[in-house]
Amino acid sequence: MSDVAITSLLMVVLFALLGSGVWIGLTLAGVAWIGMQMFSSRPAGDAMAITVWGAASSWTLTALPLFVWMGEILFRTKLSESMFRGLAPWVNRLPGRLLHTNVIGCTIFAAVSGSSAATCATIGKMTLPELARRGYPEDITIGSLAGAGTLGLLIPPSIIMIVYGVTADVSIARLFVAGILPGIVLASLFSGYLAVWATMNRDRVPPPDAAMTLREKLFESRHLIPVVLLIGAVLGSIYSGFATATEAAAVGVAGSLILSGVQRSLNWATFRDSLLGATRLYCMIALILAGAQFLTLAMGYIGLPRHLAEFVTELGLSPFMLILALAVFYIILGCFLDGISMVVLTMGVILPTVQAAHIDLVWFGIFIVIVVEMAQITPPVGFNLFVLQGMTGKEITWIARVTLPFFFLMCGMVLLLWFFPQLATWMPSRM
Amino acid sequence: MRRALDFLYDACAWLAAIAMIGVLAMVLASIVTRQLGINFQGTDAYAGYSMACAGFLALAHTLKHNEHIRVTLVLGRLQGRARHALEMWALSAATLLALLFAFYAVRLAWQSHVINDISTGNDATPLWLPQLGMALGAVVLLIAFMDEWWLEFTGRRVVKESEEALHNE
Amino acid sequence: QAKWDLPAAYPASNFHTENLMHFAGEVDKATGGKLKITVHPNASLYKAPEIKRAVQQGQAQIGEILLVNFQNEWQLYGADGIPFLADSYEASMKLYKAQKPFLDKKLGEQGMMLLYAVAWPPQGIYTNRTLNSAADMKGLKWRAYSPATARIAELVGAQPVTVQAAELSQALATGVVDSYMSSGSTGYDTKTYEHLKKWYDTQAWLPKNAVIVNKAAFNALDKPTQDALLKAAAEAETRGWAASKAENARTIGLLKQNGMEIVAPPAQLKADLKKVGDTMLKEWLEKAGPEGKQLIDAYMKP
Ligand code: NA
Ligand code: NA
Repeated sequence: MSDVAITSLLMVVLFALLGSGVWIGLTLAGVAWIGMQMFSSRPAGDAMAITVWGAASSWTLTALPLFVWMGEILFRTKLSESMFRGLAPWVNRLPGRLLHTNVIGCTIFAAVSGSSAATCATIGKMTLPELARRGYPEDITIGSLAGAGTLGLLIPPSIIMIVYGVTADVSIARLFVAGILPGIVLASLFSGYLAVWATMNRDRVPPPDAAMTLREKLFESRHLIPVVLLIGAVLGSIYSGFATATEAAAVGVAGSLILSGVQRSLNWATFRDSLLGATRLYCMIALILAGAQFLTLAMGYIGLPRHLAEFVTELGLSPFMLILALAVFYIILGCFLDGISMVVLTMGVILPTVQAAHIDLVWFGIFIVIVVEMAQITPPVGFNLFVLQGMTGKEITWIARVTLPFFFLMCGMVLLLWFFPQLATWMPSRM
Repeated sequence: MRRALDFLYDACAWLAAIAMIGVLAMVLASIVTRQLGINFQGTDAYAGYSMACAGFLALAHTLKHNEHIRVTLVLGRLQGRARHALEMWALSAATLLALLFAFYAVRLAWQSHVINDISTGNDATPLWLPQLGMALGAVVLLIAFMDEWWLEFTGRRVVKESEEALHNE
Repeated sequence: QAKWDLPAAYPASNFHTENLMHFAGEVDKATGGKLKITVHPNASLYKAPEIKRAVQQGQAQIGEILLVNFQNEWQLYGADGIPFLADSYEASMKLYKAQKPFLDKKLGEQGMMLLYAVAWPPQGIYTNRTLNSAADMKGLKWRAYSPATARIAELVGAQPVTVQAAELSQALATGVVDSYMSSGSTGYDTKTYEHLKKWYDTQAWLPKNAVIVNKAAFNALDKPTQDALLKAAAEAETRGWAASKAENARTIGLLKQNGMEIVAPPAQLKADLKKVGDTMLKEWLEKAGPEGKQLIDAYMKP
């Protein structure tokens, strides 16, 4: 059977199962099962169990449940309220006002967390209820959160950069530094879009709070002290060598527990709720991760991503056309696979072509991170969409639709990166 | 019977919650012992095992809380018998997949025991021990899906409103 | 016509993986396309610790494993990980010859068969400190990524620190670890020279990657294909050992170019480390039992 026929068949199965309401993690496993049984020489069952176990017990993932738990603890403290009181006077004059808290919050938290889903979950737990209470429309708040959550990958530390760096033989430290400027530019693009949106939809943005003098603003900023202390503790633990980037998640949980103790919101009931809430949210993500991991294995056996990458390689394109083709390739792949799988399944074939086109590998790493960010918000398989569906109960299609503008902003970011490669290459060149 | 099943789901969820604390404890232990210069090997592997247990043991409880996500676009527009029929299909497909997962998760732990599969890390744990967590979680998920299937079949299934959604709306 | 999948844990650019690709090509040619092997590098199919099991149970017909990884399961898998026992390519080859009958037997019992094995370049110590004797290693924050490296740390009074490969670079930058033991090749690949400036070329041990095949899958091939496979494997082994030596020379040169000082270990350090090695050999023999003693005796025989 040809690759096109296999792809079409698996696609039909995927959409039929998803559309008929089969749980997402099980759907992915089902598609993988059918693909592997029909189109590979190996039986699916034992391979599935080994792979799922390996992924679910892998130490590198431990930061994810811990950051999810941190979000659940912070959600039950007064932290979100005080963060808003501290930020509000400063963003009050900007068009869009508190809408910017998602972008600012995600940008700051991205410097702590290496994952997009954890960034989205942690910040969302704090901002979504508060923004809804203040009357901000949910389509733009949820959309901007899904988009800005992906900054967790571009702003260091970043799990995907580590995977790419090891795969492509590029310095991880350089990649980290290279991600800073594009991360800030992308965050500014998001904020800029929110400002434009707010100017065009004045009636949908709640009225500003009373204006303040600078002294009053600074005084209100004292409410930011707990957030700053927490972020300082997590970041400080990483950069002082107290903990590794993964271990810092545990510092975050411990810090959040202390914070909630100091604010007197820690008692048995809140501790139990945060623990069980985190366990369920992580469990939901874990089932999807298990299905996605099995799908990746099936794809590896069938060879679809590899063949597709070989096809792109053989086209013989100019560098610009190559990057455009790769962007399209990864956007399509990103609809169905998670970021790490995309990288490990295709790099072996893609990298020689990229090197032959004299494209800088650090620059290419940033390009890869941005397309992987897009994959987080494209249906049917997009982890930020899953996290937000879990948190808000909205349909995944609705979330994907409200996130679409941010997807286009990331496409714009890819073009910006092409025309201004210094965004990614300047800072590492000065190391 | 009802009470026994609910007790089973909740008991496993509590085990999962304890495993979650285990993840935190193991990662904190690796930080603290390093600062104090104490030699305590294998914390990374134990954190991984705890994480797997946290993820799998809560599967059934999370399902009962309606927090495993699915696309309900079509389901939501259907009423009466059509909706019942589609729910039966989705639950049947899910039960079948859960059965496969449970069967092979149990088989994984059992074969690890037979071939003496041992962790390659500093912990040198026989892998069937932590894999029991995944096997148990998968079996209990299968029971929960059969439970849901039967309730839907007999028209008594009540889908719990997700608490998560309530936090945010 | 048979199609085999070969999971491997290292990137496509690694010399082991390049050799695997070459091997797969040779097999294809020699069998006239009757046996096609697809190499899946970079742990894209299975992760390093899972590959042996995948081959053993037939999820993959063939795979590449790092033998010392499986020492917890059976001590003799880790014979090439005993420090300062075989400290050159020649000694390592001799150890491999002594180890091979045992490997053949054990893998055979487990339903597998050894096709070939290739040594990694020898292991040295990365650090910023000047080491004149083992006493200078006291208090080093030492990356312990295997039971053997953890035990070395204990014996010299360094502090074993668990850091995953993915976080090594960052851990070095922030000082979570300030020393570890590995080959020149790994040190170059992980860009250790960005953080540490000295490499003590202790030639502590040369761990081997082994290519193993599932016995049932092998038996399912016809005789000419089996012979072609074995012949290609023998050639790949010769090629691999030569490539390993070349890689060692190349990466040491590259480390120097990037500002790393390559230090021959001073006599006192060498003597101290030899003592560490003796202790660990004794401990290994206790755990490995009579088989282990036979192996070491066979290796020591002049
Ligand atoms: Na980040
Ligand atoms: Na996607």
